[in-house]
Amino acid sequence: MRKSNSLINNLDWPLFFGFISLIIFGLVTIYSVAFNEEHPSLFSFSEKYGKQVIWIGIALFLGVMVFLIDSDIYKKFALPIYLATLSLLVVVLFLPPINGARAWLGVGSMGIQPAEFAKIATALLLAKYVSSLNMKQLSSKNVLLALLILILPMVLILMQPDAGTFVVFTAFFFVLYREGLTFDPFLLKFVNLIPKVKFKQTWIGSHFIPILFVFIFLSVITLLFGERNIPFIPGLKLYGSMGIISSLFLIAGIGSFFVQRFGLKRARSKAQFVIILSFLVGSSISLTVEKSFGSLAPHQKDRIELFLGLKEDPNGKDYNRNRAMAAVGSGGLLGKGYKKASVSSVKTNHVPESETDFIFCPFAEEWGFVGSLFLVLLYLFIIVRILIIAERQRSQFNRIYAYSVGMFFFYHFAVNIGMNIGFAPVIGIPLPFFSYGGSSMLSFSIMIFILLKLDSQRRHVLR
Amino acid sequence: MNVENRRYVIIAFILTVGVMYVSRLFYMQVIDDSWSNRAHQISEKRREITPPRAVIFDRNKNKIVANKTYFNLMVIEDKMGEDFDTIGFSKLIGLTTNDIHDRFAEIVKGEGIYYNKHNNTRVSNYQKIRPYPFLKELTKDEMAKIAPYLDAFPGFYEEETSMRYYPYPNAANILGYLSEVNAREVREDKFYKPSYNIGRAGIERYYEKELRGLKGVHYVVRSALNNDVKKYENGRFDTVALQAQPIQLGLDINLQAYGERLMQNKKGCIVAIEPQSGEILSMISAPSFDPNLLVGRKNVSLNYPQLLKNEGKPLFPRPTQAEYPPGSIFKLVQGLIGLQEGVITPNTGFACNKSLVGCHNHPAPSSIEKAVQFSCNPYFYYAVKKIIQQGKEDNIYRDSEKGLNLWNDYMHSFGFGEKLQSDLTGLRSGLIPNAAYYDRWYGKHRWAFSTIRSISIGQGEVKLTPLHMANLAAIMANRGWYYDPHFAKKIGDKPISNFTKRKTMVDAKHFEPIISGMWNVVNANAGTARKAEIAGIDVCGKTGTVQNPHGKDHSVFIAFAPMDNPKIAIAVIVENAGYGGTWAAPIASLMIEKYLLKEFKSMAKESRILNAILVEP
Repeated sequence: MRKSNSLINNLDWPLFFGFISLIIFGLVTIYSVAFNEEHPSLFSFSEKYGKQVIWIGIALFLGVMVFLIDSDIYKKFALPIYLATLSLLVVVLFLPPINGARAWLGVGSMGIQPAEFAKIATALLLAKYVSSLNMKQLSSKNVLLALLILILPMVLILMQPDAGTFVVFTAFFFVLYREGLTFDPFLLKFVNLIPKVKFKQTWIGSHFIPILFVFIFLSVITLLFGERNIPFIPGLKLYGSMGIISSLFLIAGIGSFFVQRFGLKRARSKAQFVIILSFLVGSSISLTVEKSFGSLAPHQKDRIELFLGLKEDPNGKDYNRNRAMAAVGSGGLLGKGYKKASVSSVKTNHVPESETDFIFCPFAEEWGFVGSLFLVLLYLFIIVRILIIAERQRSQFNRIYAYSVGMFFFYHFAVNIGMNIGFAPVIGIPLPFFSYGGSSMLSFSIMIFILLKLDSQRRHVLR
Repeated sequence: MNVENRRYVIIAFILTVGVMYVSRLFYMQVIDDSWSNRAHQISEKRREITPPRAVIFDRNKNKIVANKTYFNLMVIEDKMGEDFDTIGFSKLIGLTTNDIHDRFAEIVKGEGIYYNKHNNTRVSNYQKIRPYPFLKELTKDEMAKIAPYLDAFPGFYEEETSMRYYPYPNAANILGYLSEVNAREVREDKFYKPSYNIGRAGIERYYEKELRGLKGVHYVVRSALNNDVKKYENGRFDTVALQAQPIQLGLDINLQAYGERLMQNKKGCIVAIEPQSGEILSMISAPSFDPNLLVGRKNVSLNYPQLLKNEGKPLFPRPTQAEYPPGSIFKLVQGLIGLQEGVITPNTGFACNKSLVGCHNHPAPSSIEKAVQFSCNPYFYYAVKKIIQQGKEDNIYRDSEKGLNLWNDYMHSFGFGEKLQSDLTGLRSGLIPNAAYYDRWYGKHRWAFSTIRSISIGQGEVKLTPLHMANLAAIMANRGWYYDPHFAKKIGDKPISNFTKRKTMVDAKHFEPIISGMWNVVNANAGTARKAEIAGIDVCGKTGTVQNPHGKDHSVFIAFAPMDNPKIAIAVIVENAGYGGTWAAPIASLMIEKYLLKEFKSMAKESRILNAILVEP
């Protein structure tokens, strides 16, 4: 009695209601997209919405189970859970492929994807391992082990192949960055070889992860811009790097101006140096990526261009995105109205997968910018709420786990909506609690319920 | 290193992405139209519905052009499925499996060809998901045999179309025919899409815009497989296809049919006009053919080459395009001009001087009336000489030049030498020479009347179309004026008023002596067209025998009746049939009798004509 009382008192209601409202809006959208006049009931289990109701029921049941289980077991059994999911990831590789990927476990349409659950398992084990480390005195073995926990499932997932979930796994780098994981143990070995140098830490080592992300971001942007003809001047081409370098130059100039005008006097010269250095490094990254991409063999280029959605794919990735963007754009300010989506409805089928990966399309088409704004704000609210929950944890295990959940949410949100608006490559990952599908519904529910449970018991943990 | 502040870096990053997304969404959904335009393009289709063409009635409200429902057997390859029963299908439609494969190859290669502007090539736009007609223009009966079994053959379905149907097998040369539009027509008029039909000749062509109607437009929401899903906005923007109002012609289809019957086994034409309105009552071009022969692709490909090869040239619209020297009927006009110019009077007589120009034996032409009755060549030689050389100039060459141009003006006032302003297509102007014309031949001032004398009896350079000749009969009937001969009487309920009344340069009073002569031609003892006499009707006529350098003379006759208050004016030309009085005159009289009298009595005359075979072997 005392325990359930404390659960209600200590439950994070804002997050819980955020979760519930996402599920409701998602179900409402699936009902609209997949509506079949012959089975108009929401509970027609032959239709997608009926199935989704079942999945929601299972998810809520699992949520209650999670609440009933003592939260200590996650830390205790993190390793067995991790190993079990890893073995499932190995098992699926030997099963016949469905839709070109060996990602499914189970029968018929009710299959699940172990990769979804690998996210939770990895988060738990990583939380357990990293929380056991002393961040101030990391050995290179510690860093390697932390990375290994990540990389093992990533490699198995890439073998399926499931590029989407693979990308989502890079969310852990944000978590590691937050926890202060540094790559100094490797770097110092080399740096300290230089005579008379004895650093305790390096800037690159401790900021290695954001630098890596900036690097990837610049490369992708450079390639996304690609070669373009300059309008009005035939024959002259604008290269991606030129655009990036000039934008960087502009940003650096503005930054430099602000530093000179408002910066502290003693920090000025250092800041200016950092700005110039960043500009030079950024420009050279952009140039190098472009040049090396240019020297790639055509089929390699094709593969990268397809991945980035730069090229029209015979299988139609660019087709999908084009249609999806048309659907989103046609929503206007207030949308076409509920059940009135004409581009992204399943009946017209102009946007494939409009009830799963492209579910944002019908929503944006039916509710317009007002709806889209609401949904983006709801997701941002949930993500930020999770991060706030994370930061109030006393236990580092809880915090790492919470951060992982938050960053997963962010990744799924950013990539999924991004591919509907041309901001992200088309990689099929679902919109949490919104897209039709059991695996994502169950894994995200379990993820959230574990978080809520851990959070409700945060005070039990001694610092 | 303070790690705690990194939480703000991460939150800031997340919020930045959020702001970017919201701005991007605002731009895509609210500001930029291009995505929503693209969505319209993708998901909506404007379907045009073409109404059936307007029907056409004759002057007695007989439907002469109608529409009949036909069916196309459509196919969507994508829906056929893997295990399509080709053998069963071939049995159903009565083709071999090879034929079916050939037809498919033909569709893939030929249907939906479009011109690719980017690389200047013609490309087949064939798409598996689009419907194409597999068999075209099946009749109701043919379709009824196939339709019940189509369920077993996925991908095939029936589609209704409408095509022309002509209840009477007559008037093909008047009504014209339809055929598929060409690329230029599609480009120039937005109404047409490839494979649409357009009027190619006759009424169908001239009244194309009046017949084609108003297209309806339906906006539908379309699926990725190109199926219609629902009406766009509940059909708020849809319009209904409107069939155009029926057109009523002045044509008398029964008279037309009778004329075609009379002209069987003959070459030539009959044109009959109602004089006071200018409406064409019938226009026979012999040999004729059933207009239903040229309905639809299947028929056209079968029958058109045969019609084209036929010796009698049935496709050649003789009444409007054949140009004949008018022969003796021209004497009527010459007499009228002479009287108007005052160079002769009704009582002027000339000797029948056969040394000037050949003539047959007849009493002396003591007046214009007699001259017309006997068709005396030397008489009109004198008369026309007086018109052309009036002595107003001392130099006969200058005098002739002036005189010929005056004569030419008269002729044009009869509509000769120019295209009549009619609702017929492909009209010819015939030929009325003027001074400039002969100057080109002989040199300026190097010719006089004697050089060009053969025009006085309607031979030589002068040429008229049968329509001109019938119009001359109408002018005679009206005593000096005419409406341009035309077909349309009413469009919907609105009477046609595009055709103006034209006056010739000859006063009405000068017509009477000549008309008396024409009465004599038919009714007097020494008339040249006694065979045109009808008991109870005063028929006035004039024969012509047109010399034909290529063969036997053409038999020509023009007439109108009754003499007072004329109801019908007619011209008949029978090619290579000899004297005008022998064949053309009785044919004209039968037509007149059929049109004017309730009770037809000239059975013997009729059977003589019907049995005559006047086509050169």
